[in-house]
Amino acid sequence: MFNYTFHWRPAFQALPQMLEGAVVTLQIAIISMIIGIVIGVLLALMSNSGSKTLRAIASTWIEVARNTPALFQIYMAYFGLGQLGIHLDSFAALLFGIAFNNAGYLAETFRGGLRAVPATQVRAARSLGFGPISAFRLIVLPQMFRAVFHPMTNQMVWAILMTSLGVVVGLNTDLTGVTQELNVKTFRTFEYFAIAAVLYYLIAKAVTLGARAFAYRLFRY
Amino acid sequence: MKLLLAATLALASLTTALPAYADKLDDIIASGTLRCAVVLDFPPMGSRDANNTPIGFDVDTCNDLAAALGVTAEIVETPFPDRIPALVSGRVDVGVASTSDTLERAKTVGFSIPYFAFEMVVLTKDGLGISDYDSLKGKKVGSTSGTYEAIALEKSVTEWADPAGSFRSYQTQADVMLALSQGQIDATVVTSTVAGSTIATGNFPGFVMGGKAPYEIDYVGLITLRNEQGLINYLNLFVNQQIRTGRYAELYAKWVGEGEAPNLMVPGVYY
Repeated sequence: MFNYTFHWRPAFQALPQMLEGAVVTLQIAIISMIIGIVIGVLLALMSNSGSKTLRAIASTWIEVARNTPALFQIYMAYFGLGQLGIHLDSFAALLFGIAFNNAGYLAETFRGGLRAVPATQVRAARSLGFGPISAFRLIVLPQMFRAVFHPMTNQMVWAILMTSLGVVVGLNTDLTGVTQELNVKTFRTFEYFAIAAVLYYLIAKAVTLGARAFAYRLFRY
Repeated sequence: MKLLLAATLALASLTTALPAYADKLDDIIASGTLRCAVVLDFPPMGSRDANNTPIGFDVDTCNDLAAALGVTAEIVETPFPDRIPALVSGRVDVGVASTSDTLERAKTVGFSIPYFAFEMVVLTKDGLGISDYDSLKGKKVGSTSGTYEAIALEKSVTEWADPAGSFRSYQTQADVMLALSQGQIDATVVTSTVAGSTIATGNFPGFVMGGKAPYEIDYVGLITLRNEQGLINYLNLFVNQQIRTGRYAELYAKWVGEGEAPNLMVPGVYY
């Protein structure tokens, strides 16, 4: 009963378009990671802080981000906020959703990373004359990032794969968007999605290998 | 006697050795069920009534086809982008889903002769200053991914190359209406049937028609697998019978309303 014939030639002709989409995908993933890291560090600090309010804000963010589907977060950012008259465009809504999600996950990772830096380090720094902020910036943060480097790589790969959800909010310029447009014009689902899957794999693999090479340089004594 | 036995055995082995090839038409008749892919967020062609039962022109057409084949119809709700994947992956037998007969798609699926034809109109909200198709230039527009009108609209946006303008494609017609009502997009292009019934529901205050879209008439066919020539022949005759028995006009009056059902003939050419 298997009578599907593959049309690979026209599918490969669409490769330049799909590669352009892959660039957009990578852009969204990188920007969302940067926002996620900044907010994630803040959330981690907030949840370690003495203030009850700050702890509550951080834990609400982390709980919502980690316990609801990323798809809903993106859909809410677009159609949910739209209902309230706040208009994010498709790109911004996807970015918002993924950055929100990234920040939630990374905050927990960072919290663990901060714990891994012994308190004696801060005391030693302070005794050497570092102020509290520079002790944190120069002594604690670098050690924390080192401890959480590999989980962060993981999150980056997750961010790349999550960009595919942009299609539900009308994003048609990223890799999934471009692929879906090609698919509905020709209905050659298998061919286009197979090529897209390979591209996602290659992007994710390149990020992992790049991160490994970077870690090698960063962490050698 | 021996000879007869040998002959019987030979015949039996011959018939079993040959692949018992039944085509899709035979399969449907034998199975007793016709599975139709129908888009149910595309009124009046397909939608759900208050009891969640599928209704519409396409649903009735599927029921008529099943009745002609002497089988029961099974309506499989299929969003626009999934119609042909559903067919190719064997989840449905036939698509009664307002599928535009583009040459690109005909490389993958087989089309019947047209069973309906659509005219496209601009749907927008009051006060946006959109009165005709050309005023869409520089506006945010959107449509349902992969539909005839989405492809044509995206092409226009690309040609206009106005940096203020943009095109978005959504996965369902419902999302397009939501995006339009929220102001994520300024206008969409839809079939006059959808525009009419969307405005008539009263769910979207402020929606107005913004003139006709200058596209060619969108002829839609029934679809099945490209190589099921037997079934395609049957579908062609079915469409022809629907029209000559007056059933087509009857369904048009029931679902679309007053006026003449669209002419499905393209003057001056053979199909």
